[in-house]
Amino acid sequence: MKTGTRIWLVLGCLLAALVALGPIVWAFSTSLKPTNRIFQVPPELIPSVSTLDHYARLISEGVHWAFLNSGLYAVMAVLVALTLGTVAGYSLARYPIPGKQLVLVLFVGAMAVPGFAVLLPTQLLFVNMGLYNTYIALPLLYAGHILPFAVWVTRSHFNTIPRELEQAAQIDGYSRFEAVWKVVLPGAKPALLAAATFGFLHSWNDYVTATTMVDTPGLRTLPVALIFFQGFHGRDWGALMAGVIIATIPPVVMFLLFRKYLIGGFADGSVKG
Amino acid sequence: MDSSRALHSVARKTKIVGSALVGPALILVVAINVLPAFYGFYLSLRQVFFFADEGYVGLQNYVELFRDPFAWQAIGRSLVFTFGSLAIAVPLALVSAMGIRRLGNWGSILLTVLLVPWAMSPIVVALLWKWILVPSPGGLVGAIFAAFGVPPQDLLTDPLLAMPTLILIGVWRNFAFAAIILTGGLGQIPRDLYKAAAVDGLGAWEAFRKITLPLLAPSLLIVISMLTISYFNEVQTIIGLTGGGPIRQTTTLGYLLYHTGFVELDQGRGNAIAIVMFMINMLLIALYIKILGKQPGAAA
Repeated sequence: MKTGTRIWLVLGCLLAALVALGPIVWAFSTSLKPTNRIFQVPPELIPSVSTLDHYARLISEGVHWAFLNSGLYAVMAVLVALTLGTVAGYSLARYPIPGKQLVLVLFVGAMAVPGFAVLLPTQLLFVNMGLYNTYIALPLLYAGHILPFAVWVTRSHFNTIPRELEQAAQIDGYSRFEAVWKVVLPGAKPALLAAATFGFLHSWNDYVTATTMVDTPGLRTLPVALIFFQGFHGRDWGALMAGVIIATIPPVVMFLLFRKYLIGGFADGSVKG
Repeated sequence: MDSSRALHSVARKTKIVGSALVGPALILVVAINVLPAFYGFYLSLRQVFFFADEGYVGLQNYVELFRDPFAWQAIGRSLVFTFGSLAIAVPLALVSAMGIRRLGNWGSILLTVLLVPWAMSPIVVALLWKWILVPSPGGLVGAIFAAFGVPPQDLLTDPLLAMPTLILIGVWRNFAFAAIILTGGLGQIPRDLYKAAAVDGLGAWEAFRKITLPLLAPSLLIVISMLTISYFNEVQTIIGLTGGGPIRQTTTLGYLLYHTGFVELDQGRGNAIAIVMFMINMLLIALYIKILGKQPGAAA
């Protein structure tokens, strides 16, 4: 590569990284400044005086309960979707199923339906069935949103694993379930982690489902609680940016830990179709 | 005779076991994703207000919707938002993907950094950018403006600037997702083709136009379709940043659905909007398949 090209490439990368991370770093810096220094001119990137007051205020307002709700809903949704999805993905890869093409079309079609477009009928159904405003409303919906992707990635994975592998294990005296559990499933780890990461991000990051399916403060998720906090406290930017930071840490950590699997899962899912 | 019957019953048994294993996932997906879509269409033909179904009204919800000039404006704004975002996000993602491939390991680190905004919650992104854009020389953008001698502007309440601002924030949030898929697509183009092109005396631009672009068509089709669905149905950042304003300048069809259905609680009409949104989505995807699916690379 020519030196000129190389310099432009490095400059481009630095600029891109700055644009991507700059706003987040600025939010973190704001969340640590005492309120009377937040609007200081010129602004300081590294606060000369710092405080954890804003984080404490979120806790005194009970926002940490919403944080726990978000985590609980996301984990429940991921567990349900991964269990049902793996079983279904395995079955679609191995068993003859009547109407298999239709079943596959339903799973792919469900991935293409934007969740937001069916939110209104879902709300009415949930109100009529007494599921509106309950603890299981959101985990159930998120599980349903994640499931098609979970089925899809596990199925593509099981398709690539030769049947002989589990048949050999069965000849060695394992039951079919044991053969799958001990021999096939450990190899499916990348597919499972891709589905789990995608599912966690989807559930944790959602706002619009949560705000339309749950009304009681005790059942609120973190994004909803932050919007309510903003409504009551106007422009308390210190506390709001503290909220932005605590809402961002779990998905970003999850994404950084499992990015390889997630990116692989998306690439597989989109290229192999 | 007996053995063929035994074989038959084994085949039936595996069918039953297979169906039983798919069953629970299928039921949940149908209940959560498929059934509500049909129920929504049913509701769009009825007068439903404040959770009370007042009976069949035929196409009245649709007729009223298409008579409403605000609805047409909302369709126009959705298209401006979608294509404005695509026009910036796709070329940016393509350039990034080409850079990322040249950088090797550093490229995958850069891609990870660029994807951090994509891993964030859209509503949290909205809160974050509200603070970034706060019209004061003590804010981040305010300080940048001040450095160039421009007084602080409230970009989110300026009727001319609100939409472009939303577009840029949308690009910030998820162009890197497009870059992942394009990076994968570029990786599948055989390097030899470029060597052969260089031997034939093709310049970099011609190689890009004659090799990269056509062979990347399948990945581009996926990227453009996915981004279209995601931008066309975007509502969370709009709720968080502008609430459809100022003076309806950012009221897209998605925001109109949110407002009609969940705020005004006119659920019949809200569902009619959802069906119209769904049709426009399908129409756009069909259009892309027609244009990009014809490229020679699409067969590969």
